[in-house]
Amino acid sequence: MRSPQFSSFVILVVLLVVFGIADSNFLSPLNISNMMAFLPELGIIALGMTLLLTAGEFDLSVGAVFGLAPVVVMLLVQNAGVDIGVALLAGLLLCIAIGAINGVIVTKIGISSFLVTLSMLLIVRGAALYITQGFPLKSWDQPGFFVTLLAGSFNIGAFRFYTSLWWFIGLSLLAVYILRYAKLGNWISAIGSNRNAAVARGVPADAVKIWLFILTSVLAGLAGMISAFRISAASPVAGTGYELEVIAMVVVGGTALTGGRGTILGTIVGALMLRAIRNGIVLVGVPGLAYNIFVGVIILAMLILHALLQKNAARS
Amino acid sequence: MMQEVLRLQNLQKSFGNVRALKNASLTLKEGEVVALLGDNGAGKSTLIKAISGVFPIDRGDIYVRGEKVSIRSTREAMDLGIETIHQDTSLAPDLSIARNLFLGREPVNLKWLGVFAPLDLAKLRDAASALLKRVGISKKLDADALVSTLSGGERQSIAISRAMQFAAKVIILDEPTNNLGVEETHGVLRFVKEMREAGHSVLLITHNIHHVFEVADRIIVMRRGEIVAEQTVADTDLLTVESLITGADLSALMKRAQ
Ligand SMILES: Nc1ncnc2c1ncn2[C@@H]1O[C@H](COP(=O)(O)OP(=O)(O)OP(=O)(O)O)[C@@H](O)[C@H]1O
Ligand SMILES: [Mg+2]
Repeated sequence: MRSPQFSSFVILVVLLVVFGIADSNFLSPLNISNMMAFLPELGIIALGMTLLLTAGEFDLSVGAVFGLAPVVVMLLVQNAGVDIGVALLAGLLLCIAIGAINGVIVTKIGISSFLVTLSMLLIVRGAALYITQGFPLKSWDQPGFFVTLLAGSFNIGAFRFYTSLWWFIGLSLLAVYILRYAKLGNWISAIGSNRNAAVARGVPADAVKIWLFILTSVLAGLAGMISAFRISAASPVAGTGYELEVIAMVVVGGTALTGGRGTILGTIVGALMLRAIRNGIVLVGVPGLAYNIFVGVIILAMLILHALLQKNAARS
Repeated sequence: MMQEVLRLQNLQKSFGNVRALKNASLTLKEGEVVALLGDNGAGKSTLIKAISGVFPIDRGDIYVRGEKVSIRSTREAMDLGIETIHQDTSLAPDLSIARNLFLGREPVNLKWLGVFAPLDLAKLRDAASALLKRVGISKKLDADALVSTLSGGERQSIAISRAMQFAAKVIILDEPTNNLGVEETHGVLRFVKEMREAGHSVLLITHNIHHVFEVADRIIVMRRGEIVAEQTVADTDLLTVESLITGADLSALMKRAQ
C-alpha cells in the first residue's frame, strides 16, 4: 500500500474527482474521448522511457524523433511518390538507427545519456526543420490500411476512441510482462540497480541498454506516426518538449530517475495524471499561460510525496 | 596427487602507465584453499578480475583443467566453473534476495522465448529459500526481501551462498570478511572449509593473516604486480608471511631485538 504507484493512483483518483466536481464537462463522453485520443501518444513513449530509466539511462531525443519520423515518411510519400508501406519501413529504420547511435555512444564510449541524447535532440530536430525548411507539410488525408491500423477510430456508445488506445493497452501489457515477469526484466532492473554486479553475473548490460535505446526511439516514432495520421498532417516542430513531459509521467508514477526501480503501472497512472491535469486545468478556467505553473507544482508535489514515502519505508 | 584445476601463466595487465600485473603465474589444485596476500594496490583484485572475465588480459595464458582457455566475458568464466565474489560489487540492491541469487542464471519456463522467457517464480522462491536454509541464514531472511534492506554482513552471506549453489570448480573470494561481524566472519571461514571438503578449489584474498592460518593450505604473496613468494601454510609462520607482504625482513628485525 505504501508503494509509489499506489499513492500516485490515489492522487489520480482525487484529481479526477476534484476536476469532475469543478466542471461537469470534465467527465463528459466528449472530454473523456478527447483525453483518450491524446493519452496513447505520450503514453507509448513513456513505456519505453520507463524501461530505459529502470536500466539507468534516459533519452531526451524522443520528442524530436516524434517530429522527424512522420516528416520523413510524409515527404517520401508526398514528394517522392514512395508507397506508404515502404515509407513507413524507412521511418522505422531511421528510428532504429537513431536509437542504436544513442545506445552505442552511451555504452561503448561511455558518455552520459543526458549529453548524448541532448545532442541527438538537436541533430534530429534540426534535421526535421532543415528538410522541411521549417514549414509543416501539406495535409495528407488518404485513408488506407496503415492509417486505420494506427489512427482509425470507432465509437462505443457516446465515446469515440482511436485504435491507438489498443496499441497503448497492448504495449502496456507487454511492458508489464517484460519488466515484472520476464528474464529480461530481471536484467533491466539489475543493470539499473548495480551495473557492475549485473555484468559480473554475465548479464550483457551494454546490449540490453542499446536495445532499450532502440525500443524507445521506435516507440517515439510510432507515437509520432499515430499523431500525424490522426491529424492528417506532419509538422517539423511536433513533439517539442515531449521528452520532459514523458520523463515527468514516468517519475510521477514512481520509477526512480537513478535506475533500478521501475513500474509500468505507475507510468500508466502518471500518463493519465498528466493528461488529466493538462485537460482539467484548462476546463476549470486557469488562464492558458499560467497552466505550466500548475503542472510544475503538481509534479513537484508528487515527487516530494514519493521521496517522503520512501524515507518512511527505509526507516520502518 | 591432486589434479590441477587452474593454471595462470605469465599474466600481464596494464592500466595506462600502471602495470598492475607483471608476469603473474600460479596454479590451483582440486580441493585446495590458496590465500592470495599483498598490500593495498599489489594487484590482487586485478588478478582475479582477469580470471573472472571482468576485463581481458594483455598477455599470458590461462588453463582450466589443463586446457588452454580464453576468458573474454564474465559469462565465459562462469561457464568454465569459476565463480567470483568481488570486493566492491556483488548484488543489485533493488532486487529481491531470490532474484539476486539467480541473476544471470534465472530459472525460466518456455525457454525458447530467450530473454523474453517468463521467470519460474515458484522455483526461484523455493530454490532461494532452500539455499538460505543451507547457509543457515533462513531464520532471519525472507527470499523476497529487497537486498537494499540488508546489512553488509547479510549481503556478503547472500553473495557467498550464490557462489555455492552452482557448485563451481573454482570459487574466488575477494576480501569476503571485510565489514563482517564476528559471527558472520566465522560463517565465511566455515564456508571455505566446507567448500574444500566438497572438493572445490578456493582462492581467498584477505588482509587478515589469522584467517589465512585458519583455513588456507597454501599462501601466495603479491607485491607491485608480481608474485614474490609461495609457501605452504604448514611450513611457515605469521611473522615470515608479514615480512613477505611488506617486503621488510621483520623476522630478522625481531631476532635482532631479542
Ligand atoms: N580500472 C583501473 N584503472 C586504472 N588503474 C587500476 C584499475 N584497477 C586497478 N588499478 C590499479 O592497479 C593497481 C592494482 O590494483 P588492485 O585493485 O589489483 O589492488 P589490490 O591488490 O586488490 O588492492 P586492495 O588490497 O587495496 O584491494 C593499483 O595501483 C590500482 O590503482
Ligand atoms: Mg582488491
